[in-house]
Amino acid sequence: MRLMILILLCFTFTVPAAAAEVRVGVLAYRGAERAEQDWLGTLAHLNTSLPQHRFVAVPLDLPGLTQAVEARQVDFVITNPGHYVELESLFHTTRIATVESIPGPSPGMAIGSAVLVRADVPGLRGLADLRGKRLAAVAPDAFGGFRVVWRELLALNLDPFTQMDTRFLGFPMEGIVAAVQDGRVDAGILRVCLYEQLVGEGQLNPDHFRILSARHVPESPCLTSTRLYPDWPFARLDSTDPALAKQVGMALLSMPMTDGQGWTVPVDYQTVHELFRDLKIGPYEHLTRRSFTETLRDNWPWLMLAALGILWWVVHVARVEYLVRSRTDELRRAHESARRQRDEMEHAARLALMGEMASSLAHEINQPLAAIANYARGCQRRLADGSDPDGVAEGVGLIATQADRAADIVKRMRSFVRKRLPEPQSIAINDVIRDSLGLFQVLAGRAGVDITLSLADGLPMVTADRVQLEQVLLNLMKNAADALAHRDHRQITVTSKSAVGGLEVVVADNGPGLPPDALAHLFDPFFTTKKDGLGLGLSLSRSIIEAHGGHLWGENRPEGGARFHFLLPHAEGPKP
Amino acid sequence: MTATIHVVDDDEAMRHSLAFLLKSLGHPVESHDSAEAFLRHWRPGLAGCLVLDVRMPGMSGLELQRHLENRGNTLSIVFLSGHGDIPMVVRAMRAGALQFLEKPCNDQVLLDAVAEGLRQSLDAAAEWQQTIDIQTRLEQLTPRELAVMQLVSEGKPNKVIAHELDISIKTVEVHRAHVMEKMDAGSVAELTRLLLESKGKP
Repeated sequence: MRLMILILLCFTFTVPAAAAEVRVGVLAYRGAERAEQDWLGTLAHLNTSLPQHRFVAVPLDLPGLTQAVEARQVDFVITNPGHYVELESLFHTTRIATVESIPGPSPGMAIGSAVLVRADVPGLRGLADLRGKRLAAVAPDAFGGFRVVWRELLALNLDPFTQMDTRFLGFPMEGIVAAVQDGRVDAGILRVCLYEQLVGEGQLNPDHFRILSARHVPESPCLTSTRLYPDWPFARLDSTDPALAKQVGMALLSMPMTDGQGWTVPVDYQTVHELFRDLKIGPYEHLTRRSFTETLRDNWPWLMLAALGILWWVVHVARVEYLVRSRTDELRRAHESARRQRDEMEHAARLALMGEMASSLAHEINQPLAAIANYARGCQRRLADGSDPDGVAEGVGLIATQADRAADIVKRMRSFVRKRLPEPQSIAINDVIRDSLGLFQVLAGRAGVDITLSLADGLPMVTADRVQLEQVLLNLMKNAADALAHRDHRQITVTSKSAVGGLEVVVADNGPGLPPDALAHLFDPFFTTKKDGLGLGLSLSRSIIEAHGGHLWGENRPEGGARFHFLLPHAEGPKP
Repeated sequence: MTATIHVVDDDEAMRHSLAFLLKSLGHPVESHDSAEAFLRHWRPGLAGCLVLDVRMPGMSGLELQRHLENRGNTLSIVFLSGHGDIPMVVRAMRAGALQFLEKPCNDQVLLDAVAEGLRQSLDAAAEWQQTIDIQTRLEQLTPRELAVMQLVSEGKPNKVIAHELDISIKTVEVHRAHVMEKMDAGSVAELTRLLLESKGKP
């Protein structure tokens, strides 16, 4: 490239410097000679019209021309509309005329592409059918030779670089026609009118080929597959003398048609800008490579929104975490307080049970006290008359025994009503039943109830709180005894037996049974059929049994009387 | 005749301690743990005092009292109760109970009541025994002697009796002598008293 410029520079020195040299850079996309030839008429006309200047064509390829413009080594450029738009935005190059072809398309609608396919290949009608196909073009930076098609493909959501096999065969464009003809590619991109030109020259048989998405526009005589863009411009650099530019512009506009080619007033290149913007290339390449600050600047409301969103999310997460913790604490406290309340209630129920049985309890404590009084008086009398010293000694011993008995009753009573926390331990249910019966007999006194125990051997141990189970059993026995108050023959049977997964205890009586309307409400708190009952006994008994993982229910016996069952799961671990 | 104190109570401590106390009265004391057990030892005409608990499994104290009524019971009954109500007391007293004491009771009141019961029972038993004796004597008489005795006790002279029974005066005199001998009566007045005493008793 530099070598070429040097050669050109050397060439210029060989020319006599009679007139000031004006260098016109021309885009040589098909080689330097061809380019020079293309613009020979124009250069000659300029030299004729402006003899004080000597216009020289400097044919350069795309990068070379861009470099020359950047270095201000040329005064004017003739290039394709795509390249012009690039130069315009990069180096403030300004068009002063646009090529006009007569006959031919209007200068504003001169450039476009026709996509050529063989007529005998089926399934290819429009550009959309090119997905996955082999496509030939001259070069990736060719304007009419590739980029205008690229834009159309993009509009169809087709990327020629990833969604199809696009090959760049280079100039001349006739090579593409050959590739299509040979079937090396499925389609080839030609500039508009080349097809018609080749057909006119007899190089192409129109029956063998087809143009994809072919259409006619009134401004153009040729078939096109794409939108049409303005023709090549003649542009000046920003460093070019404006007076010279004006003279050149006027000279160009006054130039007669040479080989069907002339110059007209510059047209609007906005459509080319749009193409570049769509493809995000050339002056719009920054659209694909955006800097962080640009992105920040362009999108700050969205970024701010996103930042706010993240902030909100962080705050929300923190708040949720806080709420979860505080609610967990609350729940734990509520559980704790519910448990305490239940303990309190059980305690109250035990006190109530004691209260309900207070008179028989008093009687039961009275018995040993009365016995003690009798022994004491008996001793007094014997001492008074001195008749029976052995009897006195016996009596004193008996007094002690009876005092122990009274103390034992009080002790059992106190341990039953004492305020305490549940202490689950592994216990044998039969022991609990026997102890409860002892307590019941203390409490119920001689209510005239015949209690039968029917306890199975080898029952599994249960993990339970002894006092709570005693409370349940006592409640059931007390209820049974109350139901029997007006019966002549009073019978309570307490049965223990093994059941699936644990054991079952049944407390049955031969009383009048449960009233049908009471059955549904037996376990409701404060439901009672007794005039002095609290209505807590069964409700609490059920909650105690359920807290032990068991189940409590009541029913009427077919033979008369009521029957209450409870199931308890056996303790974890091996059977003792 | 010995008077015995009977304690009937299902509570062992109570029964035993009562017996211990009552023994100090110097009378034999027998304990029974139920009304049924007591009935196995009981017979009419016993002298003694029954210290009876009202409330017991099986036959209650009041039921026992009712059972003994009109069966020749000569034991006095002193009731002991943990919690007696007024209708219960009234019923017991109407049926002839000597005392109805609430437990725990003053030992002196109990001992006095039992002592009084023993006294009354001795009299009653003696009386019952006498009635039984008269009954035995009456059973020894022939129907003719019974008829003669009836007319004699009405104060009728032998002549009228002979006429009414259509027998000779001599025969009346023989019957009369047998009656006086069998009934162990020294005079007509004594005979009349014995007959009166036996009236209305079993």
